[in-house]
Amino acid sequence: MTSSVLICDDSNMARKQVVRSLPSHWPVEVQTAKNGLEALDILRSQAIDVLFLDLTMPELDGLGVLQKIQEEGISCSVFVISADVQPAMQVKVLELGATAFLRKPVEAETLMDELQVHGFL
Amino acid sequence: MSAFNLSEDQQDCLQELINVAMGQASDQLARYLDTFVHLRVPSIEQVSTTSLSNSLNQEQESVAVVSQGFLGYEGIRGEALLVYQHKDSDCIGNILGYEPDELSIEEQLIDLSSILTTTFLNVFAKQIDNQMSYNAPRLLSSGQDALAVYLQQLSFNCDMALKVKITYQVTDFSFNCDMILLIPESAIIHIKAVIDRILEDY
Repeated sequence: MTSSVLICDDSNMARKQVVRSLPSHWPVEVQTAKNGLEALDILRSQAIDVLFLDLTMPELDGLGVLQKIQEEGISCSVFVISADVQPAMQVKVLELGATAFLRKPVEAETLMDELQVHGFL
Repeated sequence: MSAFNLSEDQQDCLQELINVAMGQASDQLARYLDTFVHLRVPSIEQVSTTSLSNSLNQEQESVAVVSQGFLGYEGIRGEALLVYQHKDSDCIGNILGYEPDELSIEEQLIDLSSILTTTFLNVFAKQIDNQMSYNAPRLLSSGQDALAVYLQQLSFNCDMALKVKITYQVTDFSFNCDMILLIPESAIIHIKAVIDRILEDY
């Protein structure tokens, strides 16, 4: 079964980095968003299984997206992929409902491990 | 074409390399201060070194600046300035938990700046398969004239530079500092070559 995936990052290179780190045997349909507002528009209009979410972004940052997802009861697993690796930030995103925290630059092996741990593979 | 004209992809790549380095520097700062550091999206722009001292003084009525030069392989070099408002530099001892007279404000600023600069630049260098060496950090005399003179006297003595500005905001203590990287035109050419190598993989 194909999973719907949304990658939200203000960096084109970072979005590409996530795409090429996705396991080749995982059937996915990928969409992208350049900031939190674009991501929320997509999340409100269609079912997304997995959101890969950056934190430090213009317009609406990743924490803002997580808060909105909680407030609006949007169903979706969020994997935060961020350069902001402070332990307090990792705790904060998990408290806001994120499934996992991965540090940038994301590596294919780490991403696959996390997807397996959380039952997507 | 000027060396400063980065393509959209080059600018995006540089910004992402900076984001990763900034994230790890903020983690070091957070651990050092035992608190949380709020990060903003860094800015990248072309500036003249003569206008930089003016803008520093316009943005902040009075500032303390710690400067540290860096030099890597392949002609990559520049100057890192850590800019503190005086209200922040004056209370840095409380934030760091020093007793009065234990360490001068100047020494504390230099310590903190060195941690931020070297962590940031080591992570940046690692991502581009480079390695940095550093000059000793030094606290600059405050005042517009002194800053202007210093910036003119930098070893690379360029008229224009790429300015990368990163703000570290420690909300628990209402403490801010800006890291400003100045990269001269001659080094930009080398950085662009490195970025192009990275982009070839994407």
